[in-house]
Amino acid sequence: MNDRKDDSIDFGYQKVARSEKKSLVANVFQSVAAKYDVMNDLMSFGIHRLWKRYTIDCSGVRKGMKVLDIAGGTGDLTAQFSRRVGPEGEVVLADINDAMLKVGRDKLRDRGVVGNVRYVQADAEELPFDDNSFDIITIAFGLRNVTDKDKALRSMLRVLKPGGRLLILEFSKPVSATLNQAYDFYSFNILPKMGQVVANDADSYQYLAESIRMHPDQETLKSMMETAGYEKVDYQNMTGGVVALHRGYKF
Amino acid sequence: MTLLPLLPTVLFEKLANTLLKKDAQSPERLRRLAGKRIRLKLKELPFTTTVSVDDAGIYISTADSDDVDCCISTELGVLPELQDTANLTRLIKADQLDIDGDPMLAQQLVGLFKSLDVDWEGELANTLGDAPAHWLMTLWRKSRSHVEKRLEESKRWFKGVVTDEKQLLPTREEFNEFKDNMQQLRAKVERLQRQFGERKS
Repeated sequence: MNDRKDDSIDFGYQKVARSEKKSLVANVFQSVAAKYDVMNDLMSFGIHRLWKRYTIDCSGVRKGMKVLDIAGGTGDLTAQFSRRVGPEGEVVLADINDAMLKVGRDKLRDRGVVGNVRYVQADAEELPFDDNSFDIITIAFGLRNVTDKDKALRSMLRVLKPGGRLLILEFSKPVSATLNQAYDFYSFNILPKMGQVVANDADSYQYLAESIRMHPDQETLKSMMETAGYEKVDYQNMTGGVVALHRGYKF
Repeated sequence: MTLLPLLPTVLFEKLANTLLKKDAQSPERLRRLAGKRIRLKLKELPFTTTVSVDDAGIYISTADSDDVDCCISTELGVLPELQDTANLTRLIKADQLDIDGDPMLAQQLVGLFKSLDVDWEGELANTLGDAPAHWLMTLWRKSRSHVEKRLEESKRWFKGVVTDEKQLLPTREEFNEFKDNMQQLRAKVERLQRQFGERKS
């Protein structure tokens, strides 16, 4: 879709050079990092907490497991995984953006989530971990910002242990036309204004809305996962398809 | 639909873990059940509920499909009857209950909360101060004892009216006698059916 092997790639609705996308995305997150949690609550009316909780429930996490939370941002998933894997397990919070990583690290430390959490600045396309090293990998609201999604999916498969599972929580395509229209109106008229008022940054939230529209829909992402080598791939729509949780296994 | 059962589940889990944290004995009780997982399938609900225990508390999930130590399939109305182990065989025979795994696990899990001993006066004192907390708890204890007394009186009065005065319902003794007679009658009918079946063949 937007991962063609030519020299340009989508950055929201704009076409930019492939080499530029990473730094443009980095600028967006550098800009929103401080207000990221507040904006998430405001934009989703708090429902993002339920989407994330459902992801945890579908992860099959147990004591002693090793979990990689890619694009972990401010650490919402990491905090819950940390409690569940216990001191024998480990959670690695990875993010390409150091500002997000710093906000996440400060937040988790303030909450007392320490001991079994490691922070790594990493690019999802070239994960700096050994082969077969994680029981669970999650990437929540991060994949659409990755330049080469196919490469990132292959990189995640490499570091996943046999029997392990990847969970991708991402904005997707609403299943009902009415909801789609309402969602479009909200995304392009209200969201950037909220971004302007709360985070003093309308452009980043305009990019957010555009990047969601350019992201592969449910079936496309499913087939991308299958092509990358994941098995038993399925997905579940949440909130009418506004968000979808894709799950795939490495056997 | 996916998210619908999630909100009450998350709230219940939070409440349960908050209560567990308020009892100093909870860590020891949790340690005994740590690692155990139990699943409840209620016919009336379109999702299953899985409870996992670890030494920090419990986790409730409506999306968990991995293996569990005990899986209970039943109906909502049957749940209160599960408190008494004497009912289990009867309910299984009546197809109202199916247990796969360790049947004692559910009772141990319920016991985790039944045995909670929370010092509510101490908890209140932390937020309101000692004197108001003591006054509130004394008021609560007196009100509860008063309500229980009145309830008991009302029950006695109602029982007198419907069984003795108006004779609308049988007394417990009459009901027990009727139950015994019914059992004897059922045994006789079964015997006759058997004899009839034997002669026919």
